[in-house]
Amino acid sequence: MSNMLEIKDLHVKVEDKEILKGVNLTIPKGETHAIMGRNGSGKSTLSYVMAGKEGYEITKGEILLDGENILELEPNERAVKGLFLAFQYPIEIPGVATMTFLKAAMNAQRKARGEEELLTPDFMREVKSAAKMLEIDSAMLKRALNVGFSGGEKKRAEILQMALLKPKMCVFDETDSGLDIDALKIVSQGVNALRDANRSMLIITHYQRLLNYIVPDVVHVFSNGKIVKSGDKSLALELEKHGYAQYDEST
Amino acid sequence: MAVKLNQSEQVVLEILQKTGADELAADFAKTGLPTRRNEAYHYSDLKMLLGNVPALATSSKSTSASLVSIEGAYRILIVNGEVQISDEPPAGVVVSTSKGGVVEPENDIIAQLNSALTKETLNIDLQGSPETIIHIDRRYEGEASHINDGVELYILDNSNATIIETFSGSNEAHLSNSASKVILGRKAKATHIMVDLSGEKLRHLQSVQYELNESALLHSLIIHKGSKLARTQLFAKFIGENAHADFAGLILGAKEQHSDISINIEHNVANTTSSENYKSVVLDRAKAIFQGKILVAKDAQKTDAAMKHQGLMLSDDAQILVKPELEIYADDVICGHGATCGQIDEDSLFYLMSRGIEKQQAKSMLIRAFLAELFDEIKIEALKEALISVADEWLEA
Repeated sequence: MSNMLEIKDLHVKVEDKEILKGVNLTIPKGETHAIMGRNGSGKSTLSYVMAGKEGYEITKGEILLDGENILELEPNERAVKGLFLAFQYPIEIPGVATMTFLKAAMNAQRKARGEEELLTPDFMREVKSAAKMLEIDSAMLKRALNVGFSGGEKKRAEILQMALLKPKMCVFDETDSGLDIDALKIVSQGVNALRDANRSMLIITHYQRLLNYIVPDVVHVFSNGKIVKSGDKSLALELEKHGYAQYDEST
Repeated sequence: MAVKLNQSEQVVLEILQKTGADELAADFAKTGLPTRRNEAYHYSDLKMLLGNVPALATSSKSTSASLVSIEGAYRILIVNGEVQISDEPPAGVVVSTSKGGVVEPENDIIAQLNSALTKETLNIDLQGSPETIIHIDRRYEGEASHINDGVELYILDNSNATIIETFSGSNEAHLSNSASKVILGRKAKATHIMVDLSGEKLRHLQSVQYELNESALLHSLIIHKGSKLARTQLFAKFIGENAHADFAGLILGAKEQHSDISINIEHNVANTTSSENYKSVVLDRAKAIFQGKILVAKDAQKTDAAMKHQGLMLSDDAQILVKPELEIYADDVICGHGATCGQIDEDSLFYLMSRGIEKQQAKSMLIRAFLAELFDEIKIEALKEALISVADEWLEA
């Protein structure tokens, strides 16, 4: 199996309104793809459906992760199989310490793989080294999860989680939103450092900007609930120049 | 006009007559137990809910370990109303007993019954700053019985004390009516925690009185975890200026539990402040009740009080009933109240699960997070740990 992700003719409704109208997408192992589309085109819905959020009715199609259909799985089961969604708006959870959360997530995934729980010193070492790469201040890790984090800190915290959980399929939902240029560079460096032959990535964005730093292998244009065009990275530049209007359906 | 007494009330009346509490018996014969028509008991109609009243307790020994163990605490047992002091108290702690009950009844029949039927009260005077935590381990042991007990704590001027009272014992259909009175002297500081860990057949009624003198500082925390029927009524009086109190509480309700915390806070003098921060978590068919009344007397200018109750409903059949009341006679005060009630936040749950954490564990993390604020206020680590483990055991059950 050389494909990490295959989405086949995916149709999704939210409260009787069809949002995804036949999405087809194949990402081979080790490749990074980008989906670009304007706000409201259904990009975020796609990311939530992949991660298994409730409230979406899948009327047709399937999503294969490493050859296995994941649509019937709980979000945590998808995560332990190696899917990771970096949220556009990471959730603030007062009362849950960031470190407690990180440890719980890492141990949940280890448990699912039949591994022993992490020893605290090993855990601390891993967190420290990942935090250093992302220029995350240790004071931030002492706070409650995402509480009082700036936009940039939240996004870096997402990448930190990704670095610790080592997923094989990473989905970034508008990771560039709310980032200034310095934060964007740090986040991109973090992502690039995690690119390897066994890890695939899907970057969802509506600006080309992020793709200057994380250069995709393939760019897809998303419009009105499906992918309408695919091409190489030059497609992103072309979109930036001419906008999405030419891809809007005339129907 | 006298009411018709039911069987439980008849038993209570006979107990009062036998005890020689004639005046109270005469009153009780007229009124019986409080019903929903009594505002303070509107959601906890004891005539309906109390059930069988067992015989008065006889003395009993308890050899079992405490359900809550706090490292280094000085522990005093009260078993079926009988004070059992075995260890020498630490410096600054004077322990004695006195005959009879302790609470001033506030025209409340449950407190009056406790006062009339309690044989022996544990008195503790705390002076200086004893570092030792005082653990009053109140037990209801042996066969189902009717138990009345009382504790009076006096934190002397400029003193500082930490006291935890736990309620537990044999899992029988006891009826316990307990009372605590806590007096804080001038500039006295106290943390006073009460945790009901009784078995699930128990009926637990409790009256707590606080008196705060000038510049006193109180942190009160009530936790209801055990008992089929639990009701704590709290009466606090600010009688000295510049005193401050944080009143907090938690109801953990499951199965068919009926759990009620009703507080009455009186700001009687100027320049006193309080916060009231209560939470309820209910599942199955449990019912949690919080009634919060704050009275600000005419001369109690510059009072600042902020009351809130937050509820977390974990099943469709559970109930949370909340009634805040402000009665304000002064004109220069800040007084507010708020109540929220909700379920586990779906977005937070999804977020945690999306990182691989199983649903049940993710839920537990979110419930712990909901409770964290109450425990974070406890500054003594050993005590905080003990209370968190009480909540954790509940979550895991």
